[in-house]
Amino acid sequence: MMIRWLLSVLVFGAAQVSAAPLTYNLKAQLIASNTYVLQGKLEDFSRENGGNIVNTGFIVTEEGVVVIDTGPSLRYGRALREVIKQTTDQPIKLVLNTHHHPDHFLGNQAFSDVDIYALKQTSEQIAQHGDAFAENMYRLVGDWMRSTEVEVPRKVITESEITLGSHRLALMPFSGHSGADLVIKDHKTGVVFAADMVFYQRALTTPHTPGLAIWLEQITELGELDYTLMVPGHGPLIEDGRAIAQMQSYLRWLDQSLTKAAQAGLSMTEVMKTPIKAEFAEIALSRREFARTVAHLYPKYEEANF
Amino acid sequence: MRAKHIIAAALLSLGCMAAHASEPDPLNSPLWDYMRQQFIGDAPFRFDPEVKVEVPTFAEDPTQVPITVDAQNLAGEIERIVVWADLNPIQHIFTYYPHPDVVPRVSLRIKVQQGTAVRAAVLTKSGVWHMGGSYLDAAGGGCTTPSTGAGNPYWESHLGEMKSRFFARETGGRYKFKIIHPMDTGLVDAIPEFYIEQVVVRNAQGDDLARLKLSQPVSENPVITLDVRHPNQKHMIWLRDNGGNEFEQAL
Repeated sequence: MMIRWLLSVLVFGAAQVSAAPLTYNLKAQLIASNTYVLQGKLEDFSRENGGNIVNTGFIVTEEGVVVIDTGPSLRYGRALREVIKQTTDQPIKLVLNTHHHPDHFLGNQAFSDVDIYALKQTSEQIAQHGDAFAENMYRLVGDWMRSTEVEVPRKVITESEITLGSHRLALMPFSGHSGADLVIKDHKTGVVFAADMVFYQRALTTPHTPGLAIWLEQITELGELDYTLMVPGHGPLIEDGRAIAQMQSYLRWLDQSLTKAAQAGLSMTEVMKTPIKAEFAEIALSRREFARTVAHLYPKYEEANF
Repeated sequence: MRAKHIIAAALLSLGCMAAHASEPDPLNSPLWDYMRQQFIGDAPFRFDPEVKVEVPTFAEDPTQVPITVDAQNLAGEIERIVVWADLNPIQHIFTYYPHPDVVPRVSLRIKVQQGTAVRAAVLTKSGVWHMGGSYLDAAGGGCTTPSTGAGNPYWESHLGEMKSRFFARETGGRYKFKIIHPMDTGLVDAIPEFYIEQVVVRNAQGDDLARLKLSQPVSENPVITLDVRHPNQKHMIWLRDNGGNEFEQAL
């Protein structure tokens, strides 16, 4: 009797656990003519959000759909594909991976039957670091990642522009955030997909930046583009220059803080405690990302002050 | 007879539990009792908030995790400070013997193999160990990743080269120095352990102001920061690695 009761608890319990659905509930938001964005949360990777902290998007052209980034997991990639299917009858023409960070390309598997394009260096970076990224994502978000494997983009972006139907897309290579960052501008709608070159209301991340000064210089270049709407890699969409201005002052502040700290001889744990400037109080995760940035970049600032 | 033994054993273990229950490990680490035995034996100890172990919440790079051990507010003269990570394959990180003329605070970087409690046990002249610690989360692999030196022969021709700088502080002064050394743990296939074992900072009179015994988990190309109370003196630094190489330089 006791055993039967125990068994039923076990079985019932297990059934309940496996019944908890891991679904991203992705919603495509129409942001311009034929142009959709799926906004992620202003959070860090977690078992609750399944890594959905990223903005992905797609453009429905007369010659098929252009997908911009595929999200953090196979599950996300499939969900994205489902959303596209519900939005249009057009087939998927191609996928663009903006850069090599895991939340932007680990959904590639769901698009393995179409051409996936990336900058040459991005594909190399994915081939080199992709597995380590995927492993880390399994650790951080758990079962959301089930069956996710790295799919390296096989097509290299060589043109600075592609035209699909009435959409002429500028493909602009930058490097400030990750060493190879693709920014896409749709001349038809004036929408700029800035990828992780631009974070807005969410602290920027620095694990592979070639340097804050380089990033800052390129942000200024980006700010000179004509656009009707900017889609940052993380954070809300913006019609004016506020995201660019925030990036500029945040990057400057980061650079100045690290420089001052190194000149004063601070150790890394001391620098990590630097107060976040009041004007950045509303930027999500600034405390946590600042500490990460110190880990990534402070040794170089220290080296310059020996 | 047998039952009696069992009862006795049970009572004994209860007794042990009671003794520890009075001071449960604030970090709730599975290896706390064992590690404490290894490093301080049965000596009296207490958890002391004045022993601070500062680490980031997450080890962004498990081969270079910054750590500051700070016992400057601890009352009583310090005999030594022993620092270890409970769940590292090599637990001991360093032991610091601070002279009264240095501030008992030191910063450096370490390797961690997984999320772990990082401890500092400070023995004062009174004979009591004062325990501090922090939990450090990590994805892991820091101790079994080859040093960058393993793939780049730069260190071979620069072994033991030091850069140092003095920084004036509100009270006293600070030295920060960096030494080129692979600090190989011996846990990577076909790369034997090779690391700096001893670091000594001396004043002009030849007194050892700061003596550090390092172990393998100290990061490659160590960057060490420590504070002296009398910055106007001349200071020397001397190092020796487990290969017997000695390096000496004026700070």
